[in-house]
Amino acid sequence: MAAAFACGGLLALAGALMQTLFRNPLAEPYLLGASGGAGLLALLGMAAGLAWPWVSALAFAGSLLALVLAAALGGRLLARDHTPLLLAGVMLAAGFGALIALVLSVAPTERLPGMLFFLMGDLAWTDQPAGLWAALLLAVATALGLSRRLDVLQLSPLKAASLGVAVAPTRWMLFTLAGACTALVVAQAGSIGFVGLMVPHALRRLGFSGHRALLPAAALAGGSLLVLADALARTVIAPRELPVGVLTALLGVPVMLWLLRKP
Amino acid sequence: MNLVACQLTLRAGTRTLVDSLDLALEPGEALGILGANGAGKSTLLSVLAGLASPAQGRVTLDGQPLADLPPLARAQHIGLLPQGDEGGFFGSVADYVTLGHYPFGDPSDLAPHLATWELTELACRPLDTLSGGERQRARLAQLAMQQPRISLLDEPLTHLDPAHQARLLAWARDEAEAGHSVALTLHDPNWAACHCDRLLFLYGDGRWQLGTPAGLLTPASLEALYGPGTAALWRKDDRIQPV
Repeated sequence: MAAAFACGGLLALAGALMQTLFRNPLAEPYLLGASGGAGLLALLGMAAGLAWPWVSALAFAGSLLALVLAAALGGRLLARDHTPLLLAGVMLAAGFGALIALVLSVAPTERLPGMLFFLMGDLAWTDQPAGLWAALLLAVATALGLSRRLDVLQLSPLKAASLGVAVAPTRWMLFTLAGACTALVVAQAGSIGFVGLMVPHALRRLGFSGHRALLPAAALAGGSLLVLADALARTVIAPRELPVGVLTALLGVPVMLWLLRKP
Repeated sequence: MNLVACQLTLRAGTRTLVDSLDLALEPGEALGILGANGAGKSTLLSVLAGLASPAQGRVTLDGQPLADLPPLARAQHIGLLPQGDEGGFFGSVADYVTLGHYPFGDPSDLAPHLATWELTELACRPLDTLSGGERQRARLAQLAMQQPRISLLDEPLTHLDPAHQARLLAWARDEAEAGHSVALTLHDPNWAACHCDRLLFLYGDGRWQLGTPAGLLTPASLEALYGPGTAALWRKDDRIQPV
């Protein structure tokens, strides 16, 4: 449960940061290919029969690789325009998706369930709850330190710069922080979907527009949602467990649709 | 507080927009900048705000190169109203206007600025539910919240109805009379003649002209600036009087 809360908190925090970085309420932690890179290397590790710690390390490396590639390909103009970074990330995610499908289609059949659980997101493997909690606390504290700048960063880059914000360095900090949060979670629990998109988006719709309130609220709500989803995943068809990513979507979609109906 | 541009050259790709411009924006002055689309007006304002580098030349604030000033220190003196883009802002009008005080850190009284721009009733509304003109007023209130001594306004009349256009220009006059400096891009020579102390014409091919409205505004100069058939824009004998 401790690991579930920390993973949910990190994902929702990363989502909030990505939405501010891209000035888009539909941005989410996996937008730049972090889950695709992690998935590809983790699946290769699983196909080769490696033990979990090695698979986890490979997932972490794959996630960072995707983010570094996205930054190298599209980050050059980040002071003025985030579109090249976004496009590079979306292309990388598509490329990793194709390679993941390729690995799945040639992998040994007996390993496929484990691979699918990883791709859907599963907390059964998490073995570093203390590390995840330390990362969550550090990430929330760091993000809170940037909160006033992040408020201004919601404006156009030119306006934000005219108000005294160093736009490019702040955007790089956001990218790095969101990327690190995402990579840590993906390395421990695979690609748990929806938390990073829905939680910060819903909170913004509920009136959390200032980052000083939004960021800790996102961490709390994301953590709580994943704890709830994890509890349900373990009990709904007990003694079997469902991948927690299935439950986050099943819980989140109705809430999100209800929120969208609000004027 | 003097903003001085020395031998400023602005380029877009290989095209020279402005060549060797010398300009001193004096305290107590409202400067109108006129030119056709793409003539370099917005680029010039970005350079004067210290947010873009010129191809050649330099801009100084009180003798100190703008490029040497830390961003926050610069923002405490110079405010820029760029052309609109609030796509990424999810909060209320009050949240949006408050961001104008960011360079100073401490809280400031929001109410007078909301009242000046008739936003008091709209303060709690999400910014993205406002009309174009209301949003423009919120952007002006945000700039006023910054309380810059030098205001650089890029097409500030966009989306505003005539009454609010007049109010904006009266605000610019008030700023100038309070000893501040205002530079604004405009397309209506009649407004420019009424409210600006000096005009800067940008021809978009490197040439520029600086002078008083009386000296610069003629049917011939407008045709040179905007092209044939535009002389009728200038109604010298039928001027809208200052508000």
